[in-house]
Amino acid sequence: MSDELKTFLEGLDSLARECEACKGQAASLKELEEIRVEYLGRKGKLAQNMQTLAKLPNELKPEAGRKANEVKQAITAMIDAWQDELNKAAAAASLSRFDPSMPGRKPGVGSLHPVTLAMDEICEVLVGLGFEHATGPEVENDWHNFEALNIPQEHPARDMQDTLYVSENIVLRTHTSPVQIRSMLNKKPPLAVIAPGKVYRRDSDLTHTPMFHQIEGLLVDREVSMGDLRGTLTAFVRQLFGQKTDVRFRPSFFPFTEPSAEVDISCVMCGGEGKNQDGSTCRVCKGTGWVEILGCGMVDPNVFKSVGYDPELYTGFAFGLGVERVAMLKYGIGDLRMFFENDVRFLEQFA
Amino acid sequence: MLVSFNWLREFVPFEGEAQELGDRLTMLGLELDSIEDPFESVQDIVVGHVVECEKHPEAEKLSVCKVDVGSEVLEIVCGAPNVGKGQKVPVAKVGVTMPDGLKIKKAKLRGVKSFGMICSERELGFSEDHDGIWVLPENLSVGDKLVDALNLERTVLDFDITPNRADALSILGFARETALAFDLPLTMPELNLVEAGGDAASEVKIVIDDAELCPLYQSRIIRDVATGKAPDWMRYKLLALGQRPISNIVDVTNYIMFELGQPLHSFDLDLIEGGMIRVASAEDGMKFTTLDNMERTLTAKDLLIWDGKKPVGLAGVMGGVNSEMHAGSRNVLLEAAVFRPGTIRKTARRLALPSDASYRFERGVDQVMNTFALNRAAQLMAETSGGSVVSGIAKAEPKPWRDRTHRYRHARCMKLLGLDLEPAFAKRVFELEGCKVDDSDPADWKVATPSYKLDLEREVDLYEEVGRVYGLDRIPAVLPHVSKSLEGGAVTADTEYGFVRSLKRWGMGAGLNEAINYSFVGDDDLDRLNLPGEGRVRIANPLSEDQNVMRTDIAAGLLNTLKHNLAQGNNHVRVFEVAKKFIEDRDSDTETREQLRLGVLLYGSRHAAEWPWPQEDVDYLDIKGHVEHLLEGHFKFCAPECVMVEEHPYLSPCVEVKLGDERVGVMGQVKSDIADFYHARKDVWLADMDAEKLWEMDRGHRVTFCCLPKFPPSRRDITVIGSLAIHAQQVYDAIAEIKSPLLESVEMVAEYVPEGVEDERNLSFRLTYRHASKTLKDKEVDKQHKRVVDELLKKLPIRI
Repeated sequence: MSDELKTFLEGLDSLARECEACKGQAASLKELEEIRVEYLGRKGKLAQNMQTLAKLPNELKPEAGRKANEVKQAITAMIDAWQDELNKAAAAASLSRFDPSMPGRKPGVGSLHPVTLAMDEICEVLVGLGFEHATGPEVENDWHNFEALNIPQEHPARDMQDTLYVSENIVLRTHTSPVQIRSMLNKKPPLAVIAPGKVYRRDSDLTHTPMFHQIEGLLVDREVSMGDLRGTLTAFVRQLFGQKTDVRFRPSFFPFTEPSAEVDISCVMCGGEGKNQDGSTCRVCKGTGWVEILGCGMVDPNVFKSVGYDPELYTGFAFGLGVERVAMLKYGIGDLRMFFENDVRFLEQFA
Repeated sequence: MLVSFNWLREFVPFEGEAQELGDRLTMLGLELDSIEDPFESVQDIVVGHVVECEKHPEAEKLSVCKVDVGSEVLEIVCGAPNVGKGQKVPVAKVGVTMPDGLKIKKAKLRGVKSFGMICSERELGFSEDHDGIWVLPENLSVGDKLVDALNLERTVLDFDITPNRADALSILGFARETALAFDLPLTMPELNLVEAGGDAASEVKIVIDDAELCPLYQSRIIRDVATGKAPDWMRYKLLALGQRPISNIVDVTNYIMFELGQPLHSFDLDLIEGGMIRVASAEDGMKFTTLDNMERTLTAKDLLIWDGKKPVGLAGVMGGVNSEMHAGSRNVLLEAAVFRPGTIRKTARRLALPSDASYRFERGVDQVMNTFALNRAAQLMAETSGGSVVSGIAKAEPKPWRDRTHRYRHARCMKLLGLDLEPAFAKRVFELEGCKVDDSDPADWKVATPSYKLDLEREVDLYEEVGRVYGLDRIPAVLPHVSKSLEGGAVTADTEYGFVRSLKRWGMGAGLNEAINYSFVGDDDLDRLNLPGEGRVRIANPLSEDQNVMRTDIAAGLLNTLKHNLAQGNNHVRVFEVAKKFIEDRDSDTETREQLRLGVLLYGSRHAAEWPWPQEDVDYLDIKGHVEHLLEGHFKFCAPECVMVEEHPYLSPCVEVKLGDERVGVMGQVKSDIADFYHARKDVWLADMDAEKLWEMDRGHRVTFCCLPKFPPSRRDITVIGSLAIHAQQVYDAIAEIKSPLLESVEMVAEYVPEGVEDERNLSFRLTYRHASKTLKDKEVDKQHKRVVDELLKKLPIRI
């Protein structure tokens, strides 16, 4: 081996050793970068050595070059390893200051009113069963709210609903049933509509608010039967309250349906047992195991007459339920008045 | 409707439990509300025997008694003048709670110990009699509970009666339903009327002016009555139904009303002038004093009972004071009538005089039963008062009852109910209910309905009977085969409901809480907001003055929500409401125009009141941000134009929100004097958006996709220094007017007011330039940008 080559190779070796000795000297990435530049930079130590390489005879160059490359890779690897260590140390230092239990920066949480939630859920089930949405005014005239629904003046059925009057002929609708009338006047059978909305009664105590929400359902076609009504409502309450819910039809009276029925469902709180698990009487159903949930019946022929449908040709069913009642059952809300106080601590609980 | 269990069983031999009866009748449409013990409040009172009775050594008016109560002999000091040795008396022992809530304790009266109380009838709620203690019949056993000793009713069922069930307003009616439900025989009370001669019909002539208003009026005369207490059995039965006994004459009429459902009235015959009774309408404006001593002003729609000279009773509602039975009355004219329900209802409602009698008349009474009720009442009256019944009945029946006959098509009934029953079942139901069935045409029957089933007015009512008796709950549930057209069916999203739902979901997504307020507020609430008084839809019979008008502005409700929350200590209020406002509109068939609005109210801190959010209160930019978020973010409309409005009833500043030419809402700060009323200590920001307009625009709005840019943008910032009077919008508008072809967008990046400067501010904007089909060179951008800046300087009095 020529001396020239030997000197060159020794120079490289000592460069590598020199660099190795720098281990641990860099306390930061910045200092490490300085070391990198010192050895590997364009004007760094390795570059200076390479200038000597150019002066070697051509036949020595391959070996010298190979060695120079080895040293360069070794130094690069060394510095990369140190950088890794520094990075890890920095990450570790940073993690040691990280407190996962600090409170988060929460975006404001919005909410829907429980009445809206219950209404949406009910409507979704009914739309799934094939009903379409319909709406009507909240301030109604006597004809739509009463007369057309077979509730004439002087009839004791008017006492069933305490009415808020605007004038002798104009009322705040006492139920969503006038939407039945408006829908039937608008369209010929068959039709299947639901009408959710606000209704008003002159009644305010622990269990009544002067405004509340109802959903009305109406289906008219040839040969609709009470069995269809039972089927529809059974499917409906089971989707709403669970497949195990039992349904009970009790004869009742509404002027706009005949026959009429009240629908009870097995109590959602006690499962129809009438008792809580500790043996105490269930508060929701008062021990009966049943909760009244809606009223329904077969559309009265007089209602058909008032909208110009032929009662010999068409039959239909109608039902109506109170949304607050459903919301109370679903969420376990005990006090009806909370619905309209709009305390944000109440509202925030529903989303 | 209260039903005494034992009284019911006088008519029908039901042997089961009251609960079983109630449950079964509930499923027949008579809903059991509760089962009560009417004498629960006296259940601990026992029968005592006064074995010794001495004068109190220290007090003349007191007696010291030894009372045997079976288990022991109690010393009781008694103040009643009528107490005496040997009497059987009701005793409340120490520890017993009296009906008025008083608890009996050991006592010492003038030095003598007393272990209980001997009770009067009034103290036990049996009568008003408080002259002395209640001396019981001698045959009662000492130590027995009073309720057992007197054989008092312990079970009363309370039913909710729907307005169609006039037939269920009597014990008899319930007995009929019980007989029907349990297939039991019905036994009517025996009639033992003894007529004493004479001729009632010749003594009193009955005249009815209008047969429609009064199809039947008949009377009996009972002479030589002695008014006094009704017999115990009758009083106890009335007490069990919560009816206070009054006198033998009145009690008999009440007894018959509860038993048979026919209200009756007793006149003092000696106060009836002219030997006649006439049923005729009142005259408009005439005065009449009812037996509660109230003078009533009548209308021509009220029906009166007149004698030969004067009105003596308000038909079916209340008798007159001028013909009332009183303590010295000797002769009774007993009325049993049928009146037109609507007439009675109208009068009772208008005069606010609801009574057990009017309640039954306005639902309809049984015209055929009327005579039996009259006779039974006359018999009981004579028996309980020592009087005698004059022979014959004074009667007019211009419109006798005719059974109503309806057709019944069994096949159609089965289709409507969704049942498949034998025709024999329906026939049996009708017959059990007292109908006469002619089924000579098997497909089309004729069913004659009895006088007491007034709810059987049409064929469909017969269907109901079949369903009801079979059990609506036994109808098989099937899902309908609906032949509803699929074409043209509204998709929920296209309906008002769907639109409202999307608005509400926006509100929730924007971090707002949905509120629902009453649609009515008080006139005061609207006045406070300086809203116009005309056009308000007022409620004629409000529950209270703060709920007497439909809101003409959504703010009225939202501000009440704010007030309630502040009172609860909730200082971070961010709510929205989607609801209608109501304006009078004479052209509408409801005389009202209803408009859907979206209201947003922001108050207090911008963020939840917790670290690490900065503690900042909401300001204009928050309410505006919500509006922009709604219009641009939710609906994808273009940016709204926001224009100051000089005058607004309750907002200042007030900014009108416009999309093109359409005004879609206003927003601003609630005027501070108004906010004060709601106890707001910080600024209240409110937006009121026209949801109907938004819906209309949304329906016409189509979202179209724009290709994403292929070439990179170049951005340049400028800072505009200018007077505070120059609004940001002016800068935007000025830049837009320059119409630089490469300028893609302009957005504000900073607002800065240098310290010490009062009338100027710096607004920094970032301008983004881009070419659709090539990468822009710096030089090209610089050239464009310089043009923009130069033009801007020419357009506005600003520095850059």
